[in-house]
Amino acid sequence: MGAAATRHAAVLQGAGFIVSLLLLWELASALGWLRPHSFPPPSRIAQGAWELAVRGFPEGVRVWTHTLVTLRRIFSGFALAMLAAIPLGLLIGRSPTLDALTNPVITFARSVATLSLLPLVIVWFGTGELSKTLLIAYGCFWVMLSNVIAGVKYVDPVLVRAARTMDTPGREIFTHIVLPAALPRIFAGARTALGVGFMVIVGAEMIGTIEGLGALIMEARTFYRTDVTIVGMMLLGVMGVLFALGMEALERRLLPWHRGLSEVRR
Amino acid sequence: MSASAAPKIEVLRVSKQFGDAAAAPVLRDVDLACAENEFVCLLGRSGCGKTTLLNIIAGLVPPTAGEVRVDGEVVTGPGRGKGMVFQQNALFPWLSARGNVEFGARRSGLDKAGAGRVADELLDLVGLRDYGARYPGELSGGMQQRVAIARALALDPQILLMDEPFGALDEITRLDMQAELLRVWSSRRKTVVFVTHSIMEALALGDRIVVMGGGSIAAIHDVGLERPRSRSDPALLRLHDTIWQGLH
Repeated sequence: MGAAATRHAAVLQGAGFIVSLLLLWELASALGWLRPHSFPPPSRIAQGAWELAVRGFPEGVRVWTHTLVTLRRIFSGFALAMLAAIPLGLLIGRSPTLDALTNPVITFARSVATLSLLPLVIVWFGTGELSKTLLIAYGCFWVMLSNVIAGVKYVDPVLVRAARTMDTPGREIFTHIVLPAALPRIFAGARTALGVGFMVIVGAEMIGTIEGLGALIMEARTFYRTDVTIVGMMLLGVMGVLFALGMEALERRLLPWHRGLSEVRR
Repeated sequence: MSASAAPKIEVLRVSKQFGDAAAAPVLRDVDLACAENEFVCLLGRSGCGKTTLLNIIAGLVPPTAGEVRVDGEVVTGPGRGKGMVFQQNALFPWLSARGNVEFGARRSGLDKAGAGRVADELLDLVGLRDYGARYPGELSGGMQQRVAIARALALDPQILLMDEPFGALDEITRLDMQAELLRVWSSRRKTVVFVTHSIMEALALGDRIVVMGGGSIAAIHDVGLERPRSRSDPALLRLHDTIWQGLH
């Protein structure tokens, strides 16, 4: 109960801070310190948001469509990356040989900015949905893969030794010790990967579509609608926050022991 | 050898060398025998090879030469007959205290119900009856080591191997834990090999104190005092001086 009260106070404080920033912004615009065209005041942005919700931008494509389409793309890419990275990461993390073999490739692939692949992906897979999904999957995949590998590789050896002294067979050491010990790191990887998905989506939606928040932002740029650009940005940000919170809640539910651990260590 | 019956643990000319042959050996021709239900302390400075010897007895590390026998059989790997308690917290953080003890009980071949019963019994024995649902991260260092002892006992081993189990605890908790261990040991007789770098701890606990230095056994002392031992007992203090001088 005490913790909940503290949480509420923190939320109120955060909200209050944001509201005062918005007021300051509106004031700065009204007093002519900010040019309304480059820095639209909150009231102008609210109008843009209303327009997006009622008429759509471009006309007919409303904000809900943009949001849902973006979410669908992020999720399909993210899910694809998880499906590939988790088994592969577990495999590589267990085998020092495979790890040594793949490490340079993974470092290399991670260093290539996902969006720099855009031209190639268009040549290979066209400008349709597949290209967008694959771009997001690419970005998520390498982050996830290196986290899964690290999770398995850096399991505290004393846990494995303890299990061995209890005569635990190798297969069970993997399923009962290594896997649960690696879960926090795997979760951290999934969280980071989802964040990458939110970053890549804007670029991925720059081509071949008028639907999606990325497309909305690009389209708004063409028409100098800075207010609409900001609405799109904000929606992405809000979604990012919501998903981060959702992942946190999921982690608390699935790994209750880990929360206790981090609180003690703090 | 003071024990008349066949020894429980025999260490026979064990040597251990890590890395290439040019490196100095960690253990050199160590011979040691522990009687059934005896409490043996391996005492020495850091790096004297006492933990390596314990790991070899545990079957976690193979010796370079020589062998270890338990009940006359050569040790080839870890086994259920030998429970081990480590210096650092080696509890599985994702299992509750009870879950950790149950894990050990399950490994000894019990079914889920039986393991649950054993876990409750052992948590009770180490004084943590009300803490079974806690995760290790929510327990103090002393409590964690109590759970670790319960988990090792859950295997129902004949031998308990302890690698500086109280080394990371504060002095006061450490003294409590020594008394606690003796109480547990008096109700569940086991052959104990206990590694420590504290002369006082060895004197408080051991039937015999094996002093190690430079990879071999420097001296073996029979303590021969009734437990619980007073730390101000003149006989104990005399032995303390003898051991201390022998280490220089």
